[in-house]
Amino acid sequence: MKINQLFFTLLGLLLIITHELTAQSEALTSSPYSLYGLGVINQTSIGKFNSLGYSGIGIKSPYELNNLNPANYALIPQNSFLYDIGLTGEINNYSNSSTSEGKSNVNFSNLAFGFRIMENLGAGITLVPYSDVGYSILGISTNVEGSNESFKSSINGLGGLNDIRFNLGYALVNKLRLGLSASFLFGSIEENEAFIYNAASFESTEKTNYSGVRLGFGLQWDVTENITLGSTIQLPTSLNGNLKRSVNKTLYGTDIIVEDETADSVSDFKLPLELGFGLSLKPMEEFTLSADYKKNFWTNTNQSENIGNYVDQDIYAFGLEYLKDPKSYKYGQRISYRLGYNYDNGYLAIGDNKVSGYNITAGIGIPTSKGTHSMINLSYSYGSKGVLQNVLIKENYHLITLNLSLEDIWFVKRKVY
Amino acid sequence: MEVPISKIRLNHVFVYSIILFAFMISCSEENYNDSDFVAGETFTSSNIRLLLIDSLTVETSTIKFDSIPTSESTRMLIGRYNDPVFGTVTTSSYMQLLPNSYTIDTEAAFDSIVLVLGYDKYYYNDTLQRNTLHIKRINENFNPIEDDYFYNTSSISYDDEDLGFLEYNPRPLAGDSLTIKLIDDLGTDLFSKLQEKTIVNSDEFKDYFKGIAILPDDTDDGSIIGFSKSSSNTYARLYYSTATSDESIQEYLDIQINIANNPIPFFNSIKAENAIEPLQTLTDGKVNLTSSNSYNQSFIQAGVGIAMRIQFPNIATLYDIPGNGTILDGILKIKPAPQFYDDNLKLRDTLAVYVVDQNNELTEQLSTGSYAILNRDNQEFNDIYYEIPIATYLEELQLKTRDLDDALILLPLNYNSSIDRFIINANGNGENETILELTYAIYDED
Repeated sequence: MKINQLFFTLLGLLLIITHELTAQSEALTSSPYSLYGLGVINQTSIGKFNSLGYSGIGIKSPYELNNLNPANYALIPQNSFLYDIGLTGEINNYSNSSTSEGKSNVNFSNLAFGFRIMENLGAGITLVPYSDVGYSILGISTNVEGSNESFKSSINGLGGLNDIRFNLGYALVNKLRLGLSASFLFGSIEENEAFIYNAASFESTEKTNYSGVRLGFGLQWDVTENITLGSTIQLPTSLNGNLKRSVNKTLYGTDIIVEDETADSVSDFKLPLELGFGLSLKPMEEFTLSADYKKNFWTNTNQSENIGNYVDQDIYAFGLEYLKDPKSYKYGQRISYRLGYNYDNGYLAIGDNKVSGYNITAGIGIPTSKGTHSMINLSYSYGSKGVLQNVLIKENYHLITLNLSLEDIWFVKRKVY
Repeated sequence: MEVPISKIRLNHVFVYSIILFAFMISCSEENYNDSDFVAGETFTSSNIRLLLIDSLTVETSTIKFDSIPTSESTRMLIGRYNDPVFGTVTTSSYMQLLPNSYTIDTEAAFDSIVLVLGYDKYYYNDTLQRNTLHIKRINENFNPIEDDYFYNTSSISYDDEDLGFLEYNPRPLAGDSLTIKLIDDLGTDLFSKLQEKTIVNSDEFKDYFKGIAILPDDTDDGSIIGFSKSSSNTYARLYYSTATSDESIQEYLDIQINIANNPIPFFNSIKAENAIEPLQTLTDGKVNLTSSNSYNQSFIQAGVGIAMRIQFPNIATLYDIPGNGTILDGILKIKPAPQFYDDNLKLRDTLAVYVVDQNNELTEQLSTGSYAILNRDNQEFNDIYYEIPIATYLEELQLKTRDLDDALILLPLNYNSSIDRFIINANGNGENETILELTYAIYDED
């Protein structure tokens, strides 16, 4: 019963904390870069992978959910039921050549569970944010055509997409696992532009609902006892957009509704083909090294923003975990220590500059008891994005992720003494 | 003993999951970002285009109302001057008078009768010229022809001989009032009829004394002067005295303008004769004198009822601009012709804007607060113009909630109580002096 008490106490605590914090938090993200596309695409993963530089396509983890590769679900042990609840806190600072501003927010990062269906077959469902939009940009100056004057507008964006993913992992043979995932992506993005020009004020709000389904496949192969290779593919898909526009203005102090939730067509947003390769090895019993490479073929989607184009993106991720002995009687020896690095050369090219970014991560995994494999994973990530030039905005952020990665033993009849 | 713990737990997890999910959804909807961050110039650009359009056709013309109701004028207008454009402008006032009492002591003796005219500070044209006033006795009852109003075109007959006469130097601002002695014949007759109780009520008085007309001289070329209608400033005063044992006590009885009756027995007659030829074609209220037929000018004259007419026949061409758009502002700029105003023939800072239909019937005042305001910012360069904010009106035209045949007209404020006149540089024959500056926002390019 000890675990259950701990679990629910923590969950209750989490709810209270979250409620307090979300009441004050601002939006899901504070990045000006969420202006483009579907917003900032969420990198945060599940469990310990957050502190391994978001690498893990090739990591074999029977007791922790691995959202990076559905093939891993085949490893869920019999009678185990795995949960993962994640919470992130972000402190964000962005600057251009003249000003800078800070932001912070707290949000959920994931909700996931997985279980074994039968011998060699595991399944799970994860809910993670796919992208976040939350920006506010002031003083966008635009010339009034036909005059020397200009107007200054401010643009706000809010919203984001969620990803509910159904995963299946099947072990073909002991060393080869295959995975299948189906993502249902849905959410809405609201953009608001407002300005005052002479005696008139103007405000337009466009709310776009996106939805779509995306399929993915994964593979994991244990080359030897200590080397695992992994590969994933996410098929390209197109998210169906549905726009509703409201336009309001005031003329000489009178509010006038120009359009009220008028439906308009909007082009679908295309997600690219994404290929991923991963490797993990254990040179020594205590160490696990992981390295991932992902390529997202954005160029083929032929999409562009008014300031730049979508271009192919390369992501490199590296992770290192140290765990003395998971079975040790000494509590200290069962704690995991992790480091990671992630480099992303960006998918948006503004002129010749790509909005690249990197993350340095570190974290620990604290086991909750000896009886199960439940862990409290705490991870810290420092990231930077953009270059400080005329066009781009440089953004630095500190991200703290708390994951409760829990295991419960189900379907085992217990004896009560 | 065996307990199905797992079932309980599953329920809990489910409930908590729902709550968590609700939080995830809710916190993405409600909270807006506040920010003072100003992004770099090219970080993003506005999704909205603003266009300033000044090429929209503005059709200008001049109309003349058949008549202006002057029984409700706030003042008397009396005078005559020769205007280089509008011709000889003559105004005269006609009114009924009533005494404030019908009793005079039987012992009293008549002294004199005078007419006092209080200035009300309005004047037009050159007040350095001498003006003349002729007071005449009206010999016809105040009976309107059609409805309950008298107009600038109304007339009423009066006796030829003057009841009084005054040549004066107008001092409309510094002066207080004029006093004109009326003939004693009138005074004694009136005095005795009141004293002998031949006249004891207003009907008997009106029957005996129908009213007075105050006219300028036919040879005057001076100014139009406004006199007050109020009973405390303007009145006829009948002086009489009562002899006692050692002294004579002087008393008086006031005879005031009757504004209590309906129809009001008062009007200003306002005429402009021998105007320039194009203006003489305005014989009917429905006639539009296009500016191209009147030296590319439009004309405005209060009292007489001449107004500038402005129409926007091509407003629907806004729909030719690709994309969805909406009007954000519309300023009509109207330039008074510089050679036609001076210190005597003054410009006023404000003009009233009304809406007329295709028959030039006045339908309404342009939304409250929409006046033509004189912008004198560039006065030193002789570049002054009236500005009228008309975005709301234009939007009504564009959205067809208003008839496209409607037009705006410009009239002076209190056009039934003044004689102000304006000459506007307008459009026609390639000249384009009256301009509409329209701000149009395109918010969807598709």
